[in-house]
Order: sequence, then C-alpha cells, then structure tokens
Amino acid sequence: MRWALSAHARRLLTLALAGLALAVVTRRPEFAGVAAPALLLLVTWRAGRPRAVEVRVGTSAQQAVEGQPVPITVAISGQDGYDAGIELVPAAAITAERGVTIPARSADLAGAVRLRFRPERWGNRHIGTVQVTLRDACRLTEGRVDVELPRVRCAPGPAVLASSIVLSKLPSRLGEHAARATGEGVEFAGVREFVPGDRQRRINWPATTRRGTLHLSTFAAERTQNVVVIADLGADVGEDGFTTLDLVERGAAGTMSRYLTGRDRVGLICVGSGIAWIGPGQGRRHFGRLLDLLVTGPAGLERASAMTRLPRAALPPGALIIAFSPLLDRRLVEAIRDLRERGFSVLVVDVLNSGPDHDGSMLSGLTERIWKLEQQAIRFSLTEIGVPVVHWNGRTTLDEPLAPYTRRAIVVRH
Amino acid sequence: MAASDPNPAGAPEAPWQPARIRPTGRAALAAAPLAALIVVWAALPVPTGRSWTKIALIAAIVTAALSVIRLAISGTPSGFRSVALMSGPARAVEWVRRTVRALPWAEGLIVAVLGLEALHPARPWHTGLLGLGLLAYLFAVHLAETDARLAVLRPQLPLLAAGIGLLALAVGAAALPALDGGPATPVKVIAIAALVLVAAIALPFPGAGTTHRDG
Repeated sequence: MRWALSAHARRLLTLALAGLALAVVTRRPEFAGVAAPALLLLVTWRAGRPRAVEVRVGTSAQQAVEGQPVPITVAISGQDGYDAGIELVPAAAITAERGVTIPARSADLAGAVRLRFRPERWGNRHIGTVQVTLRDACRLTEGRVDVELPRVRCAPGPAVLASSIVLSKLPSRLGEHAARATGEGVEFAGVREFVPGDRQRRINWPATTRRGTLHLSTFAAERTQNVVVIADLGADVGEDGFTTLDLVERGAAGTMSRYLTGRDRVGLICVGSGIAWIGPGQGRRHFGRLLDLLVTGPAGLERASAMTRLPRAALPPGALIIAFSPLLDRRLVEAIRDLRERGFSVLVVDVLNSGPDHDGSMLSGLTERIWKLEQQAIRFSLTEIGVPVVHWNGRTTLDEPLAPYTRRAIVVRH
Repeated sequence: MAASDPNPAGAPEAPWQPARIRPTGRAALAAAPLAALIVVWAALPVPTGRSWTKIALIAAIVTAALSVIRLAISGTPSGFRSVALMSGPARAVEWVRRTVRALPWAEGLIVAVLGLEALHPARPWHTGLLGLGLLAYLFAVHLAETDARLAVLRPQLPLLAAGIGLLALAVGAAALPALDGGPATPVKVIAIAALVLVAAIALPFPGAGTTHRDG
C-alpha cells in the first residue's frame, strides 16, 4: 500500500506556509490568522498507520453478457480507524457502478461489499482495477492500493427471438416440435378407427358414439430439429454499436439461445479470416462452447480459401440453416448457394445497414448506385434459388423480420 | 472516490446505476463561485497603477479558472486510445488536458490570492474574510474531488472552529492601533515557530502497511 499526504493536506500546507510567510514578510498578523485553521487541522496528522491491510477481490463470473451487470465482491480488513473508499476504475467498453466507502467505525464488521460492472460490448475484455483508498478522519493521509481484475469473456447480448422457424420435415429424434407424423405427443392430430393393440385410454368416446365403432384420437409426434447458425464475422461496418459484426454476434447468440431452449440441436459455423465450427448439440455446456466460438471467432483455424464449400461434418442432413451475414463476401454467397443446391433449407438474415461513403461527386454517386444494384442482385439471386433473405437492423426483435417464416412450418424442397 | 453507503455482499440486487462523471454534487458547484469570489474579494479595490498587483491578479484569475477546469475534468475518463494513434489537434488537446490535470492549480490559487491581498494596504477584517473564503474553497474542492458528503468533515469541526477563533483573534490583534505599522515581533516569533511545526509535520513518515493482493 502506498501512503502519502492527501491533496487536501497539501493544499492546507500551502495555505499555512503562504499565510505564515506573508505574516513574517509583511509584518501583518492577520496573515498568521489566515494560516491558523490550516495549521490546526494539520496538527491532527496521525503518525500511526494500519500495520497490515488485507484486500480481497473476488468475482464469480467467468463469462459476462454484454449489457448485463456482473457483481464483484471486495473485502477489506485491518483498516484500523481509516475510512476505506472502494472504487472500480473500468477499462475500455466497461461501465462501473458508483464506488462505496466503508466508514472507519464499521471496520470490525469485516463484511464484503459488492460492486458491479457492466460490459458495454461483447469480446474478451479487461475489466479494470479496483482502487482502494484509506483515509484518516481528517483526510490528511491517504493509503492507496490498486488491484487488477482478471479478463472476462463477454458474450454478445442475445437478440430477442420468441418464435422459431420449424421445418416441415424433422429428423426422428425426440423433441418438442409437433411433426406431421403421428406419435406420442400432446398436439391433437386427428381421429382414426381403433385397431387391436392401440391404447384404450386414447379412445375418442364422442367419435365412437357417433360412428358406432371404436375410434381413437391420434397425436402429432414431437421431434427435434437440427439448426445450424452461420455467423459471418468477416466484415465490421456500420454505426458504432450496431456494426454488422455486432448484429451478427447478437443475432446468432439470440437464435442459438432460442433453439437450445426449445431442446433443438444447434451447431455453429463461424466464417471470418478462416472457418471454425461446432456440430449440432444440446445443453447448457454446449451453449457455452458455441458462445466461446462466437466470441473468439475462427482465427487460427482452417483457412478460408476452402470456404465456398462449408464443412459437411457441421451440416447434418435436413438441418435448418440460418445465416447472419452482411453478404459482402462473395465466397460466403457462393457457399450459401452451394448449401441450397445440396438440399438444405437456408434462410439469410441480412445485417447490412450502411453503404459506402461518397463525397457527393457524380462519379462517387454513380459508384454507390452500382454498388447498391450489385447488392440487390445478390439478394435477388439468392431469393430466386429459394433462399429467403430478410433484413434486420438490430434495433427490433428478430421476430419481426422472421415473422413470415415462423408462423407455419417451412416446407422442405429438395 | 465515491461515497455512497456500503453495499454488503449478501444484500439483494439493486437496480443498475452507473457511476456519474465526477465531480458531482453541490461541492463541485460551490467550488467555482467560491474561487471567483475569493479572487474578486482579494482584488478589491481593483488595482490601477502597480504592475505587481496586476500580475498577481492575472495569476489569481488564471489559477482559479484552471483549478475549476481541473475539477471539472478530473472525473472524465482519460481516453482509451493511445496518444500515438491520435491526430495532431487531438494530441494537442490531450496534452493540454493531461497538463491541466497534473498541475496543482488550487495551491497556485492560494498563493496568488494571498499575494494579491498582501499587495494591498493592511485591512485585517478583509483579510480575515478572505481566509474564511479560502478555507471554504479548499473544503469544497476536497469534497468534490473525493465525491464525499459534507458529513465526512464532522470530525474536523472542533479544530475548524478553534482555527476560525484564532483567525478572529489575529484579525482583532491586527486591528489594534498599537500594532499597526509596528515591528510586530511577537507575530514574527509565533509565525516562525508555527513554520517549524508545519515543516515537521510535512516530513515523510515510513509506511508500515502491507497489502495482500488477491485475484
């Protein structure tokens, strides 16, 4: 701990010395009077300091979520009659709550205090430092210690998606989506004639009474579906805080979260400087792995030169593929075309919300028009081959652009 | 340093309230008019002829303005970009900002204002009120800098009252006609003794505290 005179004490000392010096030089005792209050306050300066001050800082969060407060606990003991001010000095893209002061009289309580910080942007972030300042009663002496906090992996704030896109043809795995096939679910599918071996508890008595023969209710089978999210991390353009990269991260996180909550199997393909993927799976731990990959990106993994054909291992047959992309990378557009040709149901969420800057000249304006036409052509060509492209601005829920596709099951066409 | 109530670790979650940009509260608002007031008070009557008085007045105005600016920018984040990555004007602004934050303008203001007062003819009651104004300014700056409540000054109230009593005594003594213009030897002696006392207090004391850092 570094001990020093406080700034307040230095100012009092200046006032005292200046007053006394002027009193001597000018032979005017009123200047000595001006110095008197400062001198009296300085006399209370304590020589004794706490022998051992212990500061413990702990955070339980290994992973934070963008925009959500994360608590840290700070415990201090041995402050011995000194007020302890505790403040979190946040690093870049982190905001912190107001600091707290533990008064000297509560030193023997030895309780931990809680401070909270909030990451304002996803990523692998440095939190900042906890600054503990001990002050004596007259605020003349200050002891300060800075405790560096560990880095935290901050997941993107997931976009809100309350509904989900369901394919008409689902793999035969037990899940929560009502399939076309009849099975052991709870959603009513129809009525048919009883055959020996059927369960008697499913007999539909009104239908049986009307027709005179035994009839029973049938129910839709409940199936899971495989969903693969493609996150295009190759471009980062647009308004600060709502860049294409931000939108891809948030959209992908929200989609994965929604489908995993619905007990679907979710995989992720990250496309950026390279390609990295995680095959479909379920569960909280799997979600953690997906978020880790989403935040760290594909750097250092497979080279992107082979990107036009996405990895077969990450794409189970019949999977629903949702791609978040600004569609600025031609290779990814080709890869999406290839997926459609391979029979996958693909939906593209376009996150491009800005165009190239232009200086107002005619040539620049013409270039911008051509660029816009090219972008429209790319989107049109995808729509033409059966890949719906919806636009999302990042400010609304994902339900809004996806509404046409979440109301009914998407018919799978091979 | 902030000064809200401690939030025990086991307490229920409070709504998110990000830290305000310091300095906050009435103390910061009080510091600026107090600085202006003490400069004006020390300058009255406005100097017309003597160049030293003018220099002291300019120094007082500059230090008062910069001390208030320093207080205003002390809570703003220092910026996350490296200076090397900044453009020329931005780099210059950053340099000025850092300089203003680094230098002790309040101390300069104290010296300038007292010097300005000393350049005027003797007027004990005027100087006494200036002393009170300087004290108020120093406490306002301290409260604003540490974002503390007024209640933290409670332990110092008896000493402060005694000091103001001494100030009143000194002003009263100066106002006595017998001392006016004389050699004031007792004042000299007391002043020199107090100077020695203050110098003794200011000597660095070896710190005994040790700290365990824990991630």
